[in-house]
Amino acid sequence: MLNEERVILMTHMASYESGEGKQNVKIGNYFRSDYIAVQVLKAVISATIAFALVFALYILYNLEIFLQDLYKIDIILFAKNVLTYYGITVVGYGILTYILSTYRYAKAKNNLKHYYQNLKKLNSLYNQQ
Amino acid sequence: MTDLLEIREKIKLVYSKYEVFILPLAKFLLAFVVLLSLNSKLGYMGRLDNMALVLIVALMCSFLPTGCIILFAMLFSLLHMYALAMEAALVGLCLYLVMFLLFLRFSPKDSLVVVLTPLLFFLHVPYVTPIAVGLLCGPASMISVGCGVAIHYLLQTVVDSAAALNTMGDEEAIAKIRLMIDGIIGNREMMVMIAAFAITVLVVYLIRRLSIDYAWTIAMVSGALIDVMILLIGDLIYDINTSVVSALLGSLLAVAVAKVIEFFRFCVDYSRTEKVQFEDDEYYYYVKAVPKMTVAMSTKTVKKINAQHVRNEAVSDREDEDSYRSTGAQSRRGGMGRSVTTERTAAGRSGYGTTRGTGRGDRRVGRSVTIGSTSQKSDLDDYIEDFDEEI
Repeated sequence: MLNEERVILMTHMASYESGEGKQNVKIGNYFRSDYIAVQVLKAVISATIAFALVFALYILYNLEIFLQDLYKIDIILFAKNVLTYYGITVVGYGILTYILSTYRYAKAKNNLKHYYQNLKKLNSLYNQQ
Repeated sequence: MTDLLEIREKIKLVYSKYEVFILPLAKFLLAFVVLLSLNSKLGYMGRLDNMALVLIVALMCSFLPTGCIILFAMLFSLLHMYALAMEAALVGLCLYLVMFLLFLRFSPKDSLVVVLTPLLFFLHVPYVTPIAVGLLCGPASMISVGCGVAIHYLLQTVVDSAAALNTMGDEEAIAKIRLMIDGIIGNREMMVMIAAFAITVLVVYLIRRLSIDYAWTIAMVSGALIDVMILLIGDLIYDINTSVVSALLGSLLAVAVAKVIEFFRFCVDYSRTEKVQFEDDEYYYYVKAVPKMTVAMSTKTVKKINAQHVRNEAVSDREDEDSYRSTGAQSRRGGMGRSVTTERTAAGRSGYGTTRGTGRGDRRVGRSVTIGSTSQKSDLDDYIEDFDEEI
């Protein structure tokens, strides 16, 4: 026999799983530290590529000056400056990602808590039968 | 207002009924308008400026995810830039990649905002964007609005530099890149616009979340004012020649559009019909869950004004009806009187059952009000007693 309450509960859960829950379940599969680490790693890679693109444009923009002063430039100082900017970009973006990931993980876990409660309820409904 | 609410209910009904067709159609129209606007604004590559191609791509966007519209729009703009000058396309590609890598990956759902912002600039109604986004989205959407503004000014820089880029030869590649980068970075108007829009989104969002009366209206008006104020301050500091009149008119239009959005946001429940599948040990379930809704039927009021003999029996005969009736006590005693009878058929309520897929509806009982007046004296005690009985 079909149990109406069970079907309603399962429908709500399936609806959650196919919508917002999809992302939350994916996040919930990680441990907190793992999730944040993966996100920060992705952020570091993204920031590195973005910095490389901007740096390439900067070099192209100033190519004539670079070629003109190629032998006058203090390469070590220049590299030091570039690395400093790179470090600031990556660390800044990494911190931002860390904060955002922490918030998202907490939010997803909170949502999943309700989902798991519904799962328990569904299990008890099956046991009652 | 009643007419508007009825229209709203009809829209709700039509949307829930034909959602499967309306969403792809909306995506198709959006992609079509975006690509057409790109072709008319840039239009450097003749092959892309082809209606058949635009139609095909828009048709593809209608069944692909919404994010594909932004992808195709970026591709079209890059190809147009490439046709103009490879260096322009290179700068454009770098800007798009940086945006995607640093900003858009945080809010992938807001891709529509990134597409709509340049489109609204193209339609000369850019001030609608921050207010609408502040009302409908979260504070993170200000990043998407900022990216949209940057894309608009990138395209504008390409258009403005087109003549200069055309006159430059292939050997002046570095000069072309410098021209493009100078056009973007040196664009104070873009910076002021990004700051104004971002702050407006934040202010509108914060105010509309407050638990005060008319929070949405206050949010949209204050958002429009702050937007204009920041633009004027930016104009004073950087001398960007912002048209105050157009900013004010645009903001007024933005408030008007925001009021429409408010009406539909509050009044139309766009919660979609859910089709879910699951299984347990005994069954496979294919459930279509339709959100409940009420459809206000048009109210019919029948007024009968005639001289008639109002009898005592008329009251007792109708006591079993679920109706309100107030009569003068004197009418119970009989006599000639002038009687106004108003019968109102209340709105029916039709609903859709959830999960079971069966229509469920209930009907409210009609109400009838009879007001009688006679030349006899009224008896207040009788009146009250009679009214209580009816209630």
